[in-house]
Amino acid sequence: MHSVTRGLAASFLALALSGTAFYAGPAAAAGKMTISTPQDPGSWDPIDTFLVQWAAVATNIFDGLTYRGPDLKIVPGLAESWEELDGGKRIRFKLRQNVKFHDGEPFNAAAVKFTFERLLGEQGAKGPQRSNYTAIDSVEVIDDYTVDMKLKAPDPVLLTKLAGYGAMIVPPKYITEKGEDNFNTNPVGTGPFKFVSYQPKVKIKLEANADYWGGAPKLSELEYRFISEPATAVAELQAGRVDLVIPPTIPIGMIPVIAGDSKLDVVSVPGPTVDALRFNTRDGLTADPKVRKAIIMAVDRATIVKSILAGQATEIVSFQGALSFGYDKDLKGLPYDPAGAKKLLAEAGVKPGATLQIDIRGNDATMNEVAQVIASYLQMVGLTATIKPYETNVLLNDIIPQGKTGAMFQQKWGGWTFDFDNTAYAMYHSGEKWNPYDKDETLDKLLESQRPLTDRAEREKILKDVAKYAADRALELPLYNSKSIYGISKRVKGFVAPPDNRLKLTDVTVE
Amino acid sequence: MAGFLIKRLLQAIFVVIAITLVVSFAIRLTGDPALMMFQGGGSMTEEDLARIRVALGTDQPFIVQYLNFLKGMVTLDFGKSFTGGTPVSLLIGNALPATLLLAFISMAVSIVLSIPLGIKAATAKGKAADQAIRIFSLVGLSFPNFWLATMLVLLFAITLGWLPPSGMSGAESYVMPAITMGIILTATNVRLVRSSMLETLQSQYVMVARAKGLSETKVLYKHALRNCAIPLITYFGLQFGGLLGGIVVIERVFNWPGMGSLAFDAVAGRDYPVLQAVITVLSLMIVGINLLVDIAYGLVDPRIRTE
Repeated sequence: MHSVTRGLAASFLALALSGTAFYAGPAAAAGKMTISTPQDPGSWDPIDTFLVQWAAVATNIFDGLTYRGPDLKIVPGLAESWEELDGGKRIRFKLRQNVKFHDGEPFNAAAVKFTFERLLGEQGAKGPQRSNYTAIDSVEVIDDYTVDMKLKAPDPVLLTKLAGYGAMIVPPKYITEKGEDNFNTNPVGTGPFKFVSYQPKVKIKLEANADYWGGAPKLSELEYRFISEPATAVAELQAGRVDLVIPPTIPIGMIPVIAGDSKLDVVSVPGPTVDALRFNTRDGLTADPKVRKAIIMAVDRATIVKSILAGQATEIVSFQGALSFGYDKDLKGLPYDPAGAKKLLAEAGVKPGATLQIDIRGNDATMNEVAQVIASYLQMVGLTATIKPYETNVLLNDIIPQGKTGAMFQQKWGGWTFDFDNTAYAMYHSGEKWNPYDKDETLDKLLESQRPLTDRAEREKILKDVAKYAADRALELPLYNSKSIYGISKRVKGFVAPPDNRLKLTDVTVE
Repeated sequence: MAGFLIKRLLQAIFVVIAITLVVSFAIRLTGDPALMMFQGGGSMTEEDLARIRVALGTDQPFIVQYLNFLKGMVTLDFGKSFTGGTPVSLLIGNALPATLLLAFISMAVSIVLSIPLGIKAATAKGKAADQAIRIFSLVGLSFPNFWLATMLVLLFAITLGWLPPSGMSGAESYVMPAITMGIILTATNVRLVRSSMLETLQSQYVMVARAKGLSETKVLYKHALRNCAIPLITYFGLQFGGLLGGIVVIERVFNWPGMGSLAFDAVAGRDYPVLQAVITVLSLMIVGINLLVDIAYGLVDPRIRTE
């Protein structure tokens, strides 16, 4: 036995020593950037996922017909220009010439046709992205560099949708020859970086595509590591082994750690995500709009944003942030007015000490604090709130859709398209999964009427009306629009933080 | 011995089936993976959800899904992950060695530390060395392991820059996770070795060995340790099983691509095939370790071998 012990001791000692011997500090290959992202989407195929963590990588591998950068403006991508025909029911795209996929295959009209037929066909049916593009009826090849997209009905958000996710143009020959499974883990696109290797749950590596149509990227290598634990990602950033930590990773409480490190910076930009506590408008106390209004008036949201969110969010008055299409800067929310709230509650016949339950995501540290503060604000107007934290997916997949929530429940929402329709339709239209309680014909009609409109001004007006109508009915207690928080090493130059996490790193350098 | 093995094997199969049945059933009560895919995706129709359910196979009754899983287990085809379609066998194939290696090294660290410390504490009972070791053990037991891990990262990775803060990249990346696990295990093991040893040291054969004039080292390590090894082996074996399940926190903190991380992600993403496979493999291993512990008894103690 003691020879075994000695053997183990020796091997452990060797291991401990090897640690100091082999570890030579951070790798500093010229022009290499390492990024920490919180989740591995598992597949790099554009049609498979809605995860922003997919887009944070894939925006560098693939291009769409259109492109939308950090300024959120739609500009030409693989299509050089387009025009709307037949009253918006047909869009003609002129394609960029002399573009090649990473495997050498040419990009042309056939590739566009293949991409959308795949998305809307059998393969697309297995994934979630298809649902976003059902307005497209067919794609017709006019000539090698001209395609017509025929629509079932005009879709005002389509040009935005063509800039990301499911609409990324994929290589027909490569997919047909090598198969679908291969494409999931060995993606090929036309983008500024080429796929090199992928280790599931560990990392994905890309290298510069010197022939990129938009000009070769300045970095030679990109490596994304999947790190879900915020403290670990920040430790890697501090140790200099990661150059950028992308959202949603860094919680507000960890910002001082990064800000206090002279080698690092915190960059935060308004993001798509909005938090609200929605009401059960069907049963109980909150079925009465007076009670809902009283609750909104009882909560001082400005103080919450300032003190708990440390300014990493902005107050909202409807279920959207300022970047959203349909945002109305003139819309005024109910003021913070505890006395008025008490009066409304008395009018509604609510006795002091009445109880209500607030359902929140248990792992959302910020919301846990915010809910405590809201509960104490409600206490001041005579309402006793209990907070019920759920595991996020149970809340989202079961409690909300099945209508099993308390009087109030947290909903965190925001689509990458920054179009209020994405939120409003899902939250307010009767029969939608995320709208278990409310039925309102006026609201349904408003929501339906804006969907086919290609006139931007008219559609924006209706979306503003939707927001106002929902606010008048007090359908939710609007809270805040969170910022997207990036932790970045000062070695990185030329990085512009995108609000939607779709980082394209063509112009970035690492010293 | 053969009859005993067969009996244990049947028991093992029963245990694994029972565990996977409970886990598979329970996870399906907590949400629909199809619905999860649409997070942030705006409005989807029932038709969209139905298409995805068909593609994932979750439209079938539970019993059909479970039987398919059992069939897969026998043919070693665990199916594909719901997140991205990666073959589950590939995920397990990457994660299992990572976890096993970390667990082995942590156990080794703990055994190497706890046996000499435990023996020292026993022979120096009531004296300063014993007190010191017992205090160390108490402190070790009271540490939450993630706290210890964070402190090590702060010191060795950020302040001193000697070790990588996370990931599995080379020999140096094992040091902090193994030491964190090792120290926590040692805290318990030292006490076990100490009490086991105290009991043994009072027995007559130890007196005889000493009376024969054997050196103290020989008495302690050859005679006494061998005799108190049985409870220790049992305990270390069971601990190793527990370690495989309990390593989740350490894997998260050190971003270790092992079974714990895989299970954690699978639960969070309602990735049924991955979760079922992870649970099956882990329970098979724990059952297997118990079997090995039984066999090890026989090797250490000839009286059990001949029974």
